[in-house]
Amino acid sequence: MRRVAIIGTGQTKHGKARDDVNQAELAREATTRALADAGINRRDVDAVVLSNMELFEGRALPEMWVGEGAGGYLKPVTKIATGGTSGTSACIAGYHQCASGLFDVVLVIGWEKHSEGATQTGMALTDPLWDRNVASGAVGNFALSISQYVAERGVTPQQAAKVAVKARRNAAKNPYAHLQIGDITVEKVLESRMLADPVHRLDMCPQSDGACAVIYAAEDRAKKICQRPAWVRAAVTRHDQPYIGDLDRRLVTMRTLRDAAREAYERAGITEPLKELDVAEIYEPVSYAELAWYEALGFCAEGDAGRLIDDGVTEIEGELPVNPSGGVLSTNPVGASGVIRVAEAAMQVMGRAGDHQIPGARLALATGYGVYAWSDVIILSADEAE
Amino acid sequence: MNTDNFVVAGVNLSFKYAAGEAASRFLIALRDEKKILGARCPSCQRVLVPARSFCPRCFVETSEWIEVGPAGTVIAFAPLSPLPLGEGLGVRVAFALIHLDGADTALAHFIGEVDSPRIGLRVIAVFAESRRGHILDIAYFKPE
Amino acid sequence: MTDLLHIPHAMTLSWRYGTSWYFAEFIRALRDERRLLGLRCPVCRRVYLPPRPVCGNCCAEMREWVEVKNSGTVRAFTIVHIPIIDPTTGEPRPAPYGMALIQLDGADTTLNHYLAGNDPSELRIGMRVRAVWREERRGALSDIVHFVAMNNEQSDNEH
Repeated sequence: MRRVAIIGTGQTKHGKARDDVNQAELAREATTRALADAGINRRDVDAVVLSNMELFEGRALPEMWVGEGAGGYLKPVTKIATGGTSGTSACIAGYHQCASGLFDVVLVIGWEKHSEGATQTGMALTDPLWDRNVASGAVGNFALSISQYVAERGVTPQQAAKVAVKARRNAAKNPYAHLQIGDITVEKVLESRMLADPVHRLDMCPQSDGACAVIYAAEDRAKKICQRPAWVRAAVTRHDQPYIGDLDRRLVTMRTLRDAAREAYERAGITEPLKELDVAEIYEPVSYAELAWYEALGFCAEGDAGRLIDDGVTEIEGELPVNPSGGVLSTNPVGASGVIRVAEAAMQVMGRAGDHQIPGARLALATGYGVYAWSDVIILSADEAE
Repeated sequence: MNTDNFVVAGVNLSFKYAAGEAASRFLIALRDEKKILGARCPSCQRVLVPARSFCPRCFVETSEWIEVGPAGTVIAFAPLSPLPLGEGLGVRVAFALIHLDGADTALAHFIGEVDSPRIGLRVIAVFAESRRGHILDIAYFKPE
Repeated sequence: MTDLLHIPHAMTLSWRYGTSWYFAEFIRALRDERRLLGLRCPVCRRVYLPPRPVCGNCCAEMREWVEVKNSGTVRAFTIVHIPIIDPTTGEPRPAPYGMALIQLDGADTTLNHYLAGNDPSELRIGMRVRAVWREERRGALSDIVHFVAMNNEQSDNEH
């Protein structure tokens, strides 16, 4: 397999409703920015991978419509739809297409326009035998798992609220982020409307309109085109059983993330993630989940996640900044959310993260989360190899 | 048939899609002026109909907007079977690709008021009485 | 400045999903006999309820039915406060309402279902609950209305 690097990224301004553009135009906004960031044009792209949950906006075969906005005309185009992991799965698919030797330059783009759709109804279309008898929605499902995590690991609502505050304060430095509520406090989070115990409205991610693209190039092309690309050191996926009740204590065990991270660290030669990683962009749909992911990712021992947030270890000035972009908690166009994690991780190691740049960042982690417990783990480095 | 071997499930869904600036301009021209607009790509020079903000082949923004039609030529058609289409079949008899005068792409729409549609038929737009900024503000195309 | 238009579209969709032998048997017992059945994995011996044909952990086919009680233990719970579409009605379910993952006595997996009660202080992981059945059952998991807290006087055998 060839070595592959990200040579450019592009994002739209994410927001509640981008009425000024249709879906194809939204994709084009991110695509043209990524092409400009990479310094190449549409002709240089060999293949396109799209990420989108078509049911959310009720468009069958969105690749037919939006593909042309992603520069897909007369190119091989694939679409990936795997819930929240769509974006990271698409990033991994794009990496595979490039690493395989079949394509030299691959563009990956994810997008969503929640303002147009019926996202909740999409979530209600779960398996018809069992899940469809129960109205839980995304937040109800998270809340169930959170009740187990809280009972076993003892995190408090205040600690979860600190995660929510960290995300939105970081987003204030990110011109693309959807939520701009930099004056948020722990009190405001705890006073916000209760969605499903114990998840408050400000503990939860928004639904956004937005798109994000990354461009991969293989070894020699990458070095020729880009002075400081973001090399892919690991790209790992794990899926799990589909029924929520089969997953034991999913936020507590989170075996997919644990296992994917273990393999990714091994491939990248990382033995102490907290020390060795410079920055992490992890897919956190709800504040409590970020705490659970600290443990699953080996940033701390089980039960210690609360201490990490209390001690500011994951703040933007801390030992391992987590989600300096503001994370999914600040911006969540589902098809794009995973791509944004990878793009933000790439921007960090390429030195292109602007006001939320972590100084000297060379090794970054990006994760995707979706369905009930699917996980993607991607590691990017400024260094081609160990 | 053992009904325990099937589960029936249904859902009501409603969507509202942003047309975007370019498509909005095209639709408003249908609604308010009964005009069909195309947009020219400055690179390949093709006039794209419906008018849109970028050319997918050249991947550049379109430049000038010009009026096309309202007449054109049928380049393909398929007779409609009498199925409810939601909007009401009415006088429409076929689904067709219509190459409007001045355009370089074909518009997918309906033809009506004709017994035997054929490729090469010259047709002209019939606008709906009541229009709302929708492609069906053109009700169908009839023989010129 | 152009007005920005939206194109609305509404549709009603319905599907008829083929199920399978294990669904048919589970539903028959539920509807006709008010009995709950799980399937046991021959390798790890876990009992799955709801049943499915293959144990995901072992990749082994499961054919052994095991009767499971309609009482169990709450392993996770929440109270939902916002309007969530109830797939069985197509309308938002009146909130607040309780939900839980319930490990029925005899099963190793948990069942996602409703929990009676709106006050989170009265609910806890580990509490004992039992199923409340609909008078008229149609053959679906919703033939159980919800699960209620078992008080001390109630025995597991009461239906």
